[in-house]
Amino acid sequence: MNIKITTWLNLAALFLSLYFVSFATNATENATGPDFPEHLPKHLLRDAGKNALWKNKEWLNLLHYKGDGDSYLSQVDDPRFFNAPNGKTSPQSELVASLKAFYSTDLSEPDQHPQCRFIARLHWLQKHLHDSLIQLPAVNCPQYNDWRKQVPGHKASLIFPAYHLNSPSSMFGHTLLRIDPADDAANSTWLSMAVNFGANIQASDNSISFAIKGLAGGYSGTFIVTPYFKKIKEYNREENRDIWEYPLNLTPSETEKMVQHLWELKGINFDYYFFDENCSYRLLELLEVARPSLTLTQQFGLTAIPIDTVRSIDQAGLVAGTLYRPSQATNINHLLEQLTDRQKSLVLQIARDTEVINTEEFKQTDPAKQSTMLDAAYRYLRFQQNDDGRTDTNAKNSFSLLQAINKAPDFNSPEAGYRAQQKPEKGHLSKRLDIIAGNNRVKNKSSGEETNREFAQLQFRMSFHSLDDNIDGFLEGAQINIGSISARAYKDEVQLQQLDFIDIFSLSPRNAFFQPLSWRVYTGLEQQFINGREHLTGHVTAGAGVAYTPWSRGYFYALATTRFESNSQFSRAVEPALGYSSGLLQHFSFGTTQFEFSGEAFLNNEIRQRVKLIHNFPLARNHSLQFLLNFQRQRNSDADNQAPNQNHYETSDAQISYRYFYH
Amino acid sequence: MKKITAGTLLLLASSSAFAVAPGGGGCGWGNALFEGQAGVAPHILAVTTNGTSGNNTFGMTSGTNGCSVSGKIGYSGKSMLASVMDEFSEDAAKGEGEALTAVSVAMGVQPEDRAKFAQLTHDNFNTLFPNQDVTAEQVYNSLQQVMKADAQLSKYAI
Repeated sequence: MNIKITTWLNLAALFLSLYFVSFATNATENATGPDFPEHLPKHLLRDAGKNALWKNKEWLNLLHYKGDGDSYLSQVDDPRFFNAPNGKTSPQSELVASLKAFYSTDLSEPDQHPQCRFIARLHWLQKHLHDSLIQLPAVNCPQYNDWRKQVPGHKASLIFPAYHLNSPSSMFGHTLLRIDPADDAANSTWLSMAVNFGANIQASDNSISFAIKGLAGGYSGTFIVTPYFKKIKEYNREENRDIWEYPLNLTPSETEKMVQHLWELKGINFDYYFFDENCSYRLLELLEVARPSLTLTQQFGLTAIPIDTVRSIDQAGLVAGTLYRPSQATNINHLLEQLTDRQKSLVLQIARDTEVINTEEFKQTDPAKQSTMLDAAYRYLRFQQNDDGRTDTNAKNSFSLLQAINKAPDFNSPEAGYRAQQKPEKGHLSKRLDIIAGNNRVKNKSSGEETNREFAQLQFRMSFHSLDDNIDGFLEGAQINIGSISARAYKDEVQLQQLDFIDIFSLSPRNAFFQPLSWRVYTGLEQQFINGREHLTGHVTAGAGVAYTPWSRGYFYALATTRFESNSQFSRAVEPALGYSSGLLQHFSFGTTQFEFSGEAFLNNEIRQRVKLIHNFPLARNHSLQFLLNFQRQRNSDADNQAPNQNHYETSDAQISYRYFYH
Repeated sequence: MKKITAGTLLLLASSSAFAVAPGGGGCGWGNALFEGQAGVAPHILAVTTNGTSGNNTFGMTSGTNGCSVSGKIGYSGKSMLASVMDEFSEDAAKGEGEALTAVSVAMGVQPEDRAKFAQLTHDNFNTLFPNQDVTAEQVYNSLQQVMKADAQLSKYAI
């Protein structure tokens, strides 16, 4: 760890020194460069100043300034992006320096000429200063012209690779843009260019440094432009994420402005912050450059969750349609749904040994089902190869299946006739407020004494989705909650009931084809009943296990858990425990039910056992009613305990919550 | 606050290292069929936020697939085929699909001839893909041969 930090500090120092060196170089060039003209056109600076052109929203957007009208700061963290030494903080200096730079007579490297590097700026200034921005040196930009042949830029689509099966860290999704030529329908969107903003992560970074750097802005982010088919391979095939495509109604000239600006951002660094200044946020800035009347970025102060940005783009009236690209895993499941159990078992056998297609049983199956089975077996082999890599066996089997598919009559692809999916942007909004009323009962098992207390409780969750929340538009079995806090008021006291930093629960059902692990991690503060009353404790709880779907939309799960708890009533600062968590989650048309047994035994012989029943009734997309019953038995059988029987309690909560989802 | 919670999230993500970008490094023409994404670990950490594995490209010709495209802009039919050979073989076997379209577009096949192109690759699957160890270069050469022999598509063969 120390080594990591030292390395990181060294890197930071290196980065800083590089920053200042390049900054200084840049500044010198611009201030005293011999290639600047002695005299700019007569009225140029006067005209630029006439309307305080630098305060124009389009100029501010092009330079990524955020500010209040008096002071500004560009979010670009790269001196190469600015012509003025103080360009990062001064829209005015930057505008004047840009005008001067366009007159540079140094044509030795035309691609490096400011006219070629800052195409969008040049065009915008030409539009606003067309009478005075004249007699510019003629510069040809070969690199830019070549690039534009690949990125013609006539229209654009927003692309949303959805949540990642069993990888809740990507449950938030992702967004990118795709730039299409005019005739993409007659061509192929595979050849369109995808515009992706991401952190530049080095292969040597481990998860710790990744986390620290990701939060502190230690990563630089850049825009990357790649052919769209690479993104399809990456998300649909390798990560098994469904992709949603939203064609936008940007006009050709709006798209043109965006693509010109994109060129200016080639290789330019932004500090990358995972929660706010991330992939999705930067795309909003591009869209604001394309259509200056949009106000998208200001809606996202604290977090820019990808699906929320999709919604705001939709609400701004930019979305002209929706297309769905199912992932490889979704396609496999869709094919398997059309088969009987016996046929599914044949699919598995075929994937292991392609000779099975020569058996009488296979040959006598209905030809349409034969096609489905071959397709499922082939796709399953390819799916497995993601983990196993190419081996002689799987290459040979894949090839045999392709030959069989080639011979099969009337082959139908599963994408055709795909069942309608609930669009992810139509799901409930990301923040949630709960108003809760309930009753808390405590029974002292040794004395028989019983108390009942009514309570009211308020809960806020920053994001994103719980297993029992309204499921439409979300991945089943995927819970990720970040920043949840609740306060409970009894008649005579108010207490912090719970503060969850993070709560992830991934239920991934196993079957003959897929054997993922289900797991849960959550950590925070919560009230625990001990020694006759509730105490606020801190904990980290994690578990792993299995889940099955014995019937449609039902998830049976069993996890072994471990817990580390910091409890003022325990003698050790941190007390470890082993436990379990097992239950059934069932989605109905009228809501979701969860029934769960759980418990843990601490090293100090503190034992807790719980049973919980939840039902959530969705009332509308962003409203629901949740009922919860929770029963817990707690005792300590420690021999050192002076009065073991004094510490044996049953507590139960019965509560009803109104849940409101909002942005 | 948000930074702290995100940190917890990221710390929990368990993968210890990043996969190198698929296809990084070499030129794809010698690739055998079903090379796929061999060795690419799941990008658990690539998260929502999507790191880019340091593979900094900007859609420039030289960076598109690790092959130099010798003066041509974007994808030639050959480099496109090499880039999507797995998908192309699957679509050829089935007689339809976006990989067929993408390769035909890169080869300059006009929209009215693309159905014929799909038909041709389907009918000649065994010629194009004689075995699982065939390389993209061999597939491309065979494709040129069968196109030359076809009255409607011979004009696109080089």
